[in-house]
Amino acid sequence: MEHKKIEIFNNSQIADTRIYTVSELNFSVKKDLESNFSNVWVEGEVSNCYFHNKRNIYFDLKDQHSKIKVVMFYENNRKLPYEIEDGQHLLINGYVSVYEKRGEYQIIALDAKPVGKGSLLLAFEQLKAKLENKGYFEPSRKRKIPILPKTIGIITSMGGAVLHDMISVLSRRYENFHLIVRNVNVQGITSSIEVCDAINDLCQYGIDVIIIARGGGSLEDLWAFNTEMIAEKIFNCSIPVISAIGHETDFTISDFVADLRAATPSIAAEVVILNKSEAIEKIKELVRKMQIHVNAKLMIGKKELAFLIKRRIFKKPETIGLALWQEFDSLNSKLKENMKALMDKAGKELAKQFKQINKKYIYDKINLNKLMAGNLYARLLECFKNSLNVKRNKAGLILKDLQKNSPLLTIERGYALVLNEKSNKSIRNIKEVEIGQNIKVILQDGILLSKILSKINKKLGLELQDGN
Amino acid sequence: MEIEKLSFEDALLKLEAIVKELEDESISLETSIDKFELGVRLSSHCLKKLNEAERKIEELTRTEDGKLITKELKLED
Repeated sequence: MEHKKIEIFNNSQIADTRIYTVSELNFSVKKDLESNFSNVWVEGEVSNCYFHNKRNIYFDLKDQHSKIKVVMFYENNRKLPYEIEDGQHLLINGYVSVYEKRGEYQIIALDAKPVGKGSLLLAFEQLKAKLENKGYFEPSRKRKIPILPKTIGIITSMGGAVLHDMISVLSRRYENFHLIVRNVNVQGITSSIEVCDAINDLCQYGIDVIIIARGGGSLEDLWAFNTEMIAEKIFNCSIPVISAIGHETDFTISDFVADLRAATPSIAAEVVILNKSEAIEKIKELVRKMQIHVNAKLMIGKKELAFLIKRRIFKKPETIGLALWQEFDSLNSKLKENMKALMDKAGKELAKQFKQINKKYIYDKINLNKLMAGNLYARLLECFKNSLNVKRNKAGLILKDLQKNSPLLTIERGYALVLNEKSNKSIRNIKEVEIGQNIKVILQDGILLSKILSKINKKLGLELQDGN
Repeated sequence: MEIEKLSFEDALLKLEAIVKELEDESISLETSIDKFELGVRLSSHCLKKLNEAERKIEELTRTEDGKLITKELKLED
């Protein structure tokens, strides 16, 4: 480059001074800086950070006394797992250069490492905070895990012991489970995409719950489960997802987004399906409770009945009348039929089912058989007997109603009123009439004039209804 | 209520609700017998559901033309 030489001072010492244009000077400085500071490491705090077009990032790096401008172009900052933000303490690697347009000197950053913690941890924290803000971890949006899923999907690597361990746990809890396994790489750059595809495929195939499982590892090893891609996929999944990544102390983004986090894959197998023998025990317990309550109610009915029987009306059964006894009988046999059918059916059905379970999977043989076949059935029969008495009680109440009604209403029910032909007084016992005497029998639609043919002296009592 | 169509969970929930209702001393004997019968049917349905599934372990893959297929998975012990 040719430089102009102008004499502006008389002083000969500087007569030879070279005069730059601004551009020339900036260019020269830039060249000097770039060759002298071609590979620097500088540590400081980020401030005034902003992205240009979401690509290049500009910020100041400062310490207590000084600051310097930094630019990191897209090709380099896109490689960072985390995002640069104000307040971060970074160690920058790059070279010093000049932005000639403004004559500002700056560092062109090629890499930036968080000081004090790893880049991945920082990235993890940032994504976690971002998703949390978006409401991805809200308990209210979590789908319910079914307690008895028909089909369980597991996304894992079939290479490790994880699947084997999970199957042993499942076999112990619920022998007849249905599992659909999808084999994926749980580590490496394709891992995230593979897991997302697996979620898609399982949803499409149609299952009830998905478990994403992986054994323990470092933060780097588990990185596939800390991506935004996985978070979005789990969040938008139509099926409940259980995340079981690493050991108890490992937390991943997928754990937070999933509907349930299991501390380990084996624990996921524990929570994904109910324990069959426990479930059976629970049902047995509920049936037992029902029996107790119904029995208690029957006992109360029985007591009420006993009270009623002591009353006059039951002490003098002749006042009840045949029709009512018939109603008793009809009620009794109807109840007997119904209750017997119900109890028989219930008892047999349950006994059969408990037995089936018994044959297939040997759990607690003695208890299972005892419950339905013996114990329950005997108690059900007891229930039936008791309830019979209670129906009698009900009939007693009907009787009370009858008494309130007029004799004419009684006649309408099919009773007859027998009167002395002359006095029109009601005849209450056979001693009041003589053989050959005329009597009036009053029915609902008229009167029958009748003659006494004979008298049979029989004490009316409870036996009478036996003949009917 | 069509018990046959209930899921295990729903049937179990209803069964638990019935037990609760039976605890109420003010309901009539008739009602409690009805509820008892329903409860027996529900518990029977629950047991049926528990035995419904068949033990199966399958692997899900995609064929080259993009079809989803499952094949039985043999695991070495």
